[in-house]
Amino acid sequence: MPAAIEVTGVSKSFRIPHEQRTYFKEYFLHPFRRTSYERNDALDDVSFTIERGEFFGIFGPNGSGKSTLLRILAGIYVPDAGRVRITGRLSPFIELGVGFNFELNARDNIRVNCALAGLTTNEVAARFDEILAFAELERFVDQKLKNYSSGMLMRLAYSIAIQIPFDILLLDEVLAVGDQSFQEKCFATFEEFKQDGKTVILVTHDLPLLSRFADRVLLLEHGVVSGVGPFDELVDAYRESALVG
Amino acid sequence: MDARGRRTGVGYYLRVLRVVGGIEFKAKYAGAALGYLWSLAKPLAYFGVLWLVFAHLLRTSNQTDNFTIFLLMGILLYWFFVDSVSAMLPSVVERGSILRRLAFPPILVPLSASIGICVTFFANTSAIAVFIAADRVTPHPVWLVLPLLLIELYVFSVGVGLLLAALFVRFRDVGQVWDLASQLLFFASAVFYPIGIVPEWAQKVAFLNPFLQIMQDARHVVLGSSGPNDLSVTDVYGAWGRLFSIAIVALVFVAGISLFRRESRFFAERV
Repeated sequence: MPAAIEVTGVSKSFRIPHEQRTYFKEYFLHPFRRTSYERNDALDDVSFTIERGEFFGIFGPNGSGKSTLLRILAGIYVPDAGRVRITGRLSPFIELGVGFNFELNARDNIRVNCALAGLTTNEVAARFDEILAFAELERFVDQKLKNYSSGMLMRLAYSIAIQIPFDILLLDEVLAVGDQSFQEKCFATFEEFKQDGKTVILVTHDLPLLSRFADRVLLLEHGVVSGVGPFDELVDAYRESALVG
Repeated sequence: MDARGRRTGVGYYLRVLRVVGGIEFKAKYAGAALGYLWSLAKPLAYFGVLWLVFAHLLRTSNQTDNFTIFLLMGILLYWFFVDSVSAMLPSVVERGSILRRLAFPPILVPLSASIGICVTFFANTSAIAVFIAADRVTPHPVWLVLPLLLIELYVFSVGVGLLLAALFVRFRDVGQVWDLASQLLFFASAVFYPIGIVPEWAQKVAFLNPFLQIMQDARHVVLGSSGPNDLSVTDVYGAWGRLFSIAIVALVFVAGISLFRRESRFFAERV
């Protein structure tokens, strides 16, 4: 059986121009001026493999390239070099709740998000009640999302995300919001995913969460993989680098 | 199974657009009656002013019969085209944060923006059908051609819209250029006068724009010829003129899709 995700030699850098050239005028006035760029190497020669059914954590200090890596796995960014091979269906939700339209109520937002994620109208109808029930938002289904609290939004978003059929779930810093009881409910879904052989890749700073669930973790520092393995083996290295910055 | 799962294929695109279109439609009518009236106000205001100025002028010089409907159709089609392109143009830049955080085909962003305009257009058209009834134009089987012309216009506006939306990510001037171009288009493309009154060379230039072919064909289908100066593309470019015009639409559409697809790989990091 092929690995769920195979990343070989992936590099990505962003060029941040010192002066933005977004108007024609600048091309006409200074056609030969070389725009100077700040090169930001977000990822440098990153390779690792995630097996099917693994709960895989990605952690590291701020600005180490975690979100860039996740977006490359999701196909949102194109790597400059290297290859990513995905086996299985990816969940489209990287960060929760970004596809929401705050002027619409929960009902319409569920329909739009599920359609975007690839569900048919019948499939949405079949899952609709369960989405609301899991999010515990039945009473608020006809309220506009602008009146929702951040915890309610996060519950709705997570509830939608896990109802979309997927083999691989990519999540960036999701459980920061949400009260204790909802977090425990989410943890219960993690256990279910494990039993169903689904792969979960989680980017987080939440060390207790990683220690409890992650089969393996990847420590990323300045765009370079510092280590891949069990959480206990890497946590000390992380604490050190986070303190030094 | 592909990593995108079911987020691919024509069926997927149509499903998303249908859901978004339906919700736009509902949002427009539920509790927002005034909001809808405003979207009707723009074409009606244009119509009112132009009618006051030109109806008398053109009628006394025997230029157009049925000027009321002639003008209404021109204005509705013009705003349908311009509003769709104007909605698509900034859509990718405006939704940049979603494109960075949700894995879905970026082309759905401008397409959903244009769906909202279609909804408004159909609502406006039905409102304005009242005028047509009042003016005693009786429907005719040949009107069945109208949906084809509307499809041609929509395809053309999507082509232009995708081109401009993709360019707008790199060059923010495109917004200003389009503002100016759409203004010029209003005055240059016979929305409120018969095209035959401009010199022959100008007619040839004007009919290079498929919009003029579509508007004139639609008028002829509904009204017949409104006068000797109410020309269609075949009067200017000969029997093959219409095919020539449709070929331009197809070309713009293919160019729009392929530029958008090529550029969209990098939208997430550029917007």
